Amino acid sequence: MMQRATVRVVRDARRVPWLDPMVLPAAGALAVVVGYPVVYTLLLSLQDYDLLGTVPERFIGAANYRKLLDDPTFWQALGNTAIYTFGSVAVAALLGLALALLTESVGGHRGRLARTLLLTPWAVPFVVVAFLFRYMYLQNGGAINAALLATGVIDAPISWLNVSSLALTAVMITNIWTMTPFFFLLLAAALAGIPNEVIESARVDRARGWSLVVQIKLPFLRNALLVSSLLMIIANFNDFAKIWAMTQGGPGYATTTLVIYVYRQAFENFAIGYASAIGVVWLLLLLAFAIAYLRALRTS
Amino acid sequence: MFHSRMSDRAMLVVSAVALALGVSVSSMATAETVTITFANWAAAEGTTKPAIDKVIADFEAAHPDIRIKSEAISFSEIARQLALRVRAGNPPDVAQLAGNDTFLIAATGKLEPLGGYLDVALKAELKPDATSGLSYQGKLIALPWTLAPAGLWYDKAILQKAGLDPEKPPRTVDELMTAMAAIRKSQPDVIALAVDTTNRPFSLQSNWPWMATFGADPLGATGRADSPQMKRYLAWMRELAQNRYIDPGRKIGEFRPLAAQDKVAFVWDQVLLQGVIQSASRMTDDDFYKRWGVTVQPAGPGGKSYSFEGGHQLVMFADSKQKKAAWMFMQYLAASPSAIRDYTLGPGASLPPLVRMPSPELAKKLDTPIYQAFTSRIIPTVTTPPYGPAFAAASSAIMAGVQQAVTGTESIDQIAGSMQQQLERR
Amino acid sequence: MSSVRPRDAVRRATRAARWAAIVVALVVSLAPVYWMVATSFKTELEAARLAPTLWPHEPTLANYRGLWSGSLPFLAFFTNTLLTCLATAVAAVVVATPAAYALSRARFRLRGVIGYAMLVFRMLPLVVLLAPLYLLLLHARLLDTHTGLVVGFATFGLPFAVWMMKGFIDTVPIEIEEAARIDGYPRWQIMLKVVVPLVVPGLLTTATFVFMEAWNNLIYPLTFITTLEKQTLPAALVLAFTGQFKTDWGGMMAAATLTTLPLMIAFFAVQRSMVRGLTSGAVAGA
Repeated sequence: MMQRATVRVVRDARRVPWLDPMVLPAAGALAVVVGYPVVYTLLLSLQDYDLLGTVPERFIGAANYRKLLDDPTFWQALGNTAIYTFGSVAVAALLGLALALLTESVGGHRGRLARTLLLTPWAVPFVVVAFLFRYMYLQNGGAINAALLATGVIDAPISWLNVSSLALTAVMITNIWTMTPFFFLLLAAALAGIPNEVIESARVDRARGWSLVVQIKLPFLRNALLVSSLLMIIANFNDFAKIWAMTQGGPGYATTTLVIYVYRQAFENFAIGYASAIGVVWLLLLLAFAIAYLRALRTS
Repeated sequence: MFHSRMSDRAMLVVSAVALALGVSVSSMATAETVTITFANWAAAEGTTKPAIDKVIADFEAAHPDIRIKSEAISFSEIARQLALRVRAGNPPDVAQLAGNDTFLIAATGKLEPLGGYLDVALKAELKPDATSGLSYQGKLIALPWTLAPAGLWYDKAILQKAGLDPEKPPRTVDELMTAMAAIRKSQPDVIALAVDTTNRPFSLQSNWPWMATFGADPLGATGRADSPQMKRYLAWMRELAQNRYIDPGRKIGEFRPLAAQDKVAFVWDQVLLQGVIQSASRMTDDDFYKRWGVTVQPAGPGGKSYSFEGGHQLVMFADSKQKKAAWMFMQYLAASPSAIRDYTLGPGASLPPLVRMPSPELAKKLDTPIYQAFTSRIIPTVTTPPYGPAFAAASSAIMAGVQQAVTGTESIDQIAGSMQQQLERR
Repeated sequence: MSSVRPRDAVRRATRAARWAAIVVALVVSLAPVYWMVATSFKTELEAARLAPTLWPHEPTLANYRGLWSGSLPFLAFFTNTLLTCLATAVAAVVVATPAAYALSRARFRLRGVIGYAMLVFRMLPLVVLLAPLYLLLLHARLLDTHTGLVVGFATFGLPFAVWMMKGFIDTVPIEIEEAARIDGYPRWQIMLKVVVPLVVPGLLTTATFVFMEAWNNLIYPLTFITTLEKQTLPAALVLAFTGQFKTDWGGMMAAATLTTLPLMIAFFAVQRSMVRGLTSGAVAGA
């Protein structure tokens, strides 16, 4: 009896297919449309390739990667990307959480209206956000300085986008404004999904206010929070339109993130081999981060 | 019977000849229409689109066998797009280009040299200044379409209010500084000097004359970004920012509506400023000349005035299959009276590259104080930076340094040093 | 005689504080949007003033009129964007759902690899892929066509859709399919008739996300589309209003308002099912 079961298992194991036909359309399409460019990019990263064709392309092996290690602008861009991405996501997640908790107990029409209106920033297209905030951040003539001057918070106009120490912060504020509704929506939904019995039994145990939040509600939100953060971190690495339309990566290199640096290398210096190498490094970093993150998520 | 046999044969011959004639006649009547693709940003901008559409329609009416397919591409994207398309093997026939972009595309080696297309008549008509700067490796690779050099515009009303003589604009940088100090004092809500300090190749082009007048040459054969002259220029930029004479980070296009509202005293801008101001404020020509004047750049420590040429050129691609028709179109755009009237002097608000106007009517249009100032005094000061791929690559390093000088806190020596390091690394 | 107990007072104070915080959040969220709309009704000069006005002192419809009847085909930009984004969303969901179903239920060797690949494709630097993708579309003669643009959008839309749909399908207990499986129905039918109806909110959510991401994309239309009449809204915003001559803030804000409006409408329309979808779906368990 036992022996027959073992044999059956082994036979099943040998019959596990490599692919499932249902996966083919998606996998096939992506292999062509994404796979080919990715392989091409890998190959490009090993070459000295001038997009203008002024010098013929030649294979230089890992030279682009060595150049990258010595390039201070690359490291600055990496640092800026880390600050921009993790900073914006952390603040947006916290603000979204705060908003979700604040509006949770407000019911009825007013509550629904408030919740709907709070989602508005996310519905504005990124290009529009970028130009709008550029307009508002203007040192003379921008709405933000005008409002701050009128209410007496400052007494001289601040140059938001043109002072190296402020520019990254200004751009992050814009990013946070756009992203917070996403976290708010998610966390509000997750909060609504906490089973009532859990809340009730906690209330019976006299858990109230702050401790109710921290000990009972937060654990339920943990998964939603962590996964959505990962999504947003990945999306933010690619955030080109916002920063480009506001500062083009300036002043100096203060708001140059990896995406901006790659664009400049590829389409202003036309050094597409080098740009591809940066892209590959970026991909590897993000991959390593995501794997570590997901593993941490799974084990807890 | 004899008659009919003769006429039969005659009929046969006649009909054969008629057939042959008929075939050739019909093939002449349906001569192939040739289509030229024209990549440009004139059709992408609201200000110029109606005018360029009209010019194209007029050309097509005059040449029924040529069709123009206008491909509207934004000014900030066109160099990139054309580079990609050249690489991919599908460039247009003709393209509008300007400044460094022209030489960027020339560096691909895929532009058709135009020397052979210029006939004697056209060569005599074109201003030598206009074509002298458009050679690449000894060959003429672009046809000048419009000339739009930059000068120092000044708002006479603002000068007067500040106690300065509105007919005597500053002639040196020191005089400029004194004038701006007076203006700041009397009208603190006015921007004293409008210059473009964004980080794009265009702003390096625009600021090049200022570097030149300080004797700085960061990209020249023996030039360095950490030369004492360059440091002096950077220090001057910092002084401008610290005294709040400039509004950093604005594109020049963002200053123009402010100038129309008398909120800018001095504008370092091209000849087309007049068109923008008049369309925004609906000023008549006479009112405009009463309010605005333009002069050469105030000379710096070097003692000489400079300017840059911001006009547009037309290029033809070597892969084009209809070069003759493309050339006819290019010539029409640059030199025909109707194109000059409807586009160049119209919304283009620029100067045609011709020595003499093809008609007295057009000559009269050019007889204004502003155009005269440009033609007689400013155009001779135009200097050409070392355009090319290196220029584009270096522009982000140099403009980043300028931005750091203007709004940052590091020392000028530090900024210049790091600029030079970055330029060397290329 | 006041019969207010201290606990009531505290509760009222917290409620007041809570509403104050919500109002502040609403102001911060909505003020920029107000600014955009207000500017769109200002004249060119008023919009460029050094001392901005809180509301238009000389309100005008000129900016909107300019969009409608101006030399730039704004209506075409709008329909182009709408069609390409809808096509991308629909295609992504249709192709992704079977793949997600297979990744969720079936056993095959490459399952883990393909699952991770979807995540990796999400992370790709779009900018770097631009040149190879351009060449690919050129060879397929899809440059300057909307089909080519949809292909470009699919490079990030499809992996995203697969990943999201897998999450949604994962939350449907497998026991529900047992009955149909025992009865011998083919997998396609089980998927279509049993599973899909249960994840409709998830489908809508995924489609909306893909739609919005495609709508937001600037760099692909800017590079792949060269005929102005075929251009999409984000690219047209850049082209049309930041030209060489001037920056037309009023005109830009009018175009921006019209660009935002449909997205907002779509967003709010599906918002409720999005919430339902998200609670039951991907983010509840990766």
